[in-house]
Amino acid sequence: MRQRTERFTTIARRELQNGLSQTFLSLLPPGFRALRAMGMSSFPDPDAAVEYARAIRASVVARLPELLEEFERRALALGAKVIWTRTALQANEIILDLARERGATYITKSKSMLSEETGLGEHLRKGGVEPFETDLGEFITQLLGRPPFHIVGPAINVPPEEIRDAFLAGAGLKESTTDPVRLGLAARLFLRDKFKHLKMGVVGVNMAVASTGTIINVENEGNIRMIKSSPPTVVALMSPEKVVPSLSDAMHLLRILSRNCTGQKITSYVSLDSGPKRDSEIDGPAELFIVIVDNGRSEIYQDPLWREALRCIRCGACLNTCPVYTKIGGYPYGFAYSGPMGQVLNPLLLGLADTRDLYQACTLCGACREVCPAGIDHPALLLSYRARAASDWHGPQAARVLLRRSLATLLAFAMTHPRLWNLGIKLTRPLFNLAARDGYIHTLPGAQGWFACRDLPAVPEKTFRERWRQDHGQ
Amino acid sequence: MPKVSMFIPCTVDLLLPQVGEAAMLLLKRLGVRPSYHPEQTCCGQPLLNAGYRAEARRSAKHFLTTFWDEDIVVSPSGSCVCMIKQHYPELLKDEPAWHARALAQAEKTFELSQYLVNVLGASDVGAAYHGTVTYHESCHILRGLGVTEQPQHLIRNVRGAHYVALDNAQTCCGFGGEFAASYPDISGALVRDKVRSFLSSPAELLLVSEPGCLLNIKGYLHRHHPDKRVMHLAEFLIQQKVA
Repeated sequence: MRQRTERFTTIARRELQNGLSQTFLSLLPPGFRALRAMGMSSFPDPDAAVEYARAIRASVVARLPELLEEFERRALALGAKVIWTRTALQANEIILDLARERGATYITKSKSMLSEETGLGEHLRKGGVEPFETDLGEFITQLLGRPPFHIVGPAINVPPEEIRDAFLAGAGLKESTTDPVRLGLAARLFLRDKFKHLKMGVVGVNMAVASTGTIINVENEGNIRMIKSSPPTVVALMSPEKVVPSLSDAMHLLRILSRNCTGQKITSYVSLDSGPKRDSEIDGPAELFIVIVDNGRSEIYQDPLWREALRCIRCGACLNTCPVYTKIGGYPYGFAYSGPMGQVLNPLLLGLADTRDLYQACTLCGACREVCPAGIDHPALLLSYRARAASDWHGPQAARVLLRRSLATLLAFAMTHPRLWNLGIKLTRPLFNLAARDGYIHTLPGAQGWFACRDLPAVPEKTFRERWRQDHGQ
Repeated sequence: MPKVSMFIPCTVDLLLPQVGEAAMLLLKRLGVRPSYHPEQTCCGQPLLNAGYRAEARRSAKHFLTTFWDEDIVVSPSGSCVCMIKQHYPELLKDEPAWHARALAQAEKTFELSQYLVNVLGASDVGAAYHGTVTYHESCHILRGLGVTEQPQHLIRNVRGAHYVALDNAQTCCGFGGEFAASYPDISGALVRDKVRSFLSSPAELLLVSEPGCLLNIKGYLHRHHPDKRVMHLAEFLIQQKVA
């Protein structure tokens, strides 16, 4: 996927000025908060349920290599073919080859953030195989040529008028309507047609069960079930961390996954598929390929802290609660994953040098960590990226890194030398107060950001320390 | 008489000395003998947040050395207290002796309202106020320290004060240290929302327990709604005259 993470601030500003985005985003936190509360309250002990989920994800990350090997063994025994690829490009090429070998001129696809990450759709199109997104939201974003706005609702922010125009142009909509039911029907008719005579379908994977070799997909539209059951060839695209130890672990994560985001006790459809069609069965694909895409994850796994990012189950709860995401939406993050999920994942997948804003644009409020059912400590990860970036002498920002590092060294020196520290504070006062009037400072050179929307109290004549000394004679 | 050593955050020392004085006075009124250790500087939080772990470690060691002999350390800032209680042990995990000191320090360090309610068992601190107030739950106090009931308990027990809950009280105000200066558009949108919640409440006074949030909201109010007031909980709790 084309990354535009370097335009974070620009796109964020644009979205902050977009009335439509703002209206929609303002509904997210209260709406999802209520849905999540409702969903989680159906557990006899919600906190215990979350702790159990966190423990499962912790064990997945701890045991990742052996679980993957077990999954592969089981899946192979069931007749699936398992393909490991190191890079996104290798995965894309393999899938394109599979389509070509089967004479497919088009494929249908489920919503899969991993396929957004690898840029599968674009690769297939360039290779002459048309990919049709079949998740309604993803279908709309595909027609509009936009990245997903939200992991659960990729086009959740798109108004019906825009959908109408896109459908009139590219989805065979006959009448000009903004009625959601008619728009939905138009998409259904258009996509149903694609499932007929379908030669190959590509799905993502929500969970891969190590003990059984089963692939689990959750969805609300039935399109994934169509993809998994219509064509003779199904390709399941997964990243290594999708694996879970057992079916009972998977069942618990299913209970958490949808409750934690949309508040559903379970999604409308859950499919568990163990291998391709067997001789005794009447339907199912003749061949099932499971493509496991590493795309840098093995390297991430080498770092004991960074591997914690692989706990993520993509529920999307962190987006709905993040103060930054709920102001700017999904577009500024510039990659498959947005919100806190993207802030922890994208820098690891794309490199710290090109994703600076993703780990800097965070107030460390901890709201994401609180709702994370996988037990990710987002602030700790972002701080660790900041620490790594602060020591990157070779990047494009070397001069800036050096300057900031010198300043930090100086500050730390002063902090450990109280006399110097207090002298520094004393010298700061007149500088701060140069622009003070009516008891407030209205601007300071080099701090335009702060003063863009707010003032700062003028620095009082005496610091706390000086006042205390005066009163207590220390 | 319990003795408490007060840690004054740098923002309070330089910009909001009245908050530190209020915290001192409050403790005195509750029969505590507060002191100020002159060797104290900054807890190092800005360094850690900017990615300078080695430098933050140096300031952590300075802090631990300074406050080593103190029985109890209290600070009118949840984020400094989080730094001390949570980040110091993590920063120093590879140096066993320092790590042990950090853990010991964590045990005896408290955010102001946490100390007042959990340790002193305070309810009515002798304050009086005539009017309606509301309270913003700062992220590091709420989610960092799990302190949410304590400040509200103290406010409810102020004579004459009518406490109303703030809409979205638990949403970040957009301060975030350097974040406020680096991402003015986003930070500005967040503080604007926070102030909107305040303006739409019946309260005429907003209370916060975190100097960072206080500077952010105070600065925004002064620019856009100069007639509206925000103050630190400590300042509020030393008011005795019914206005």
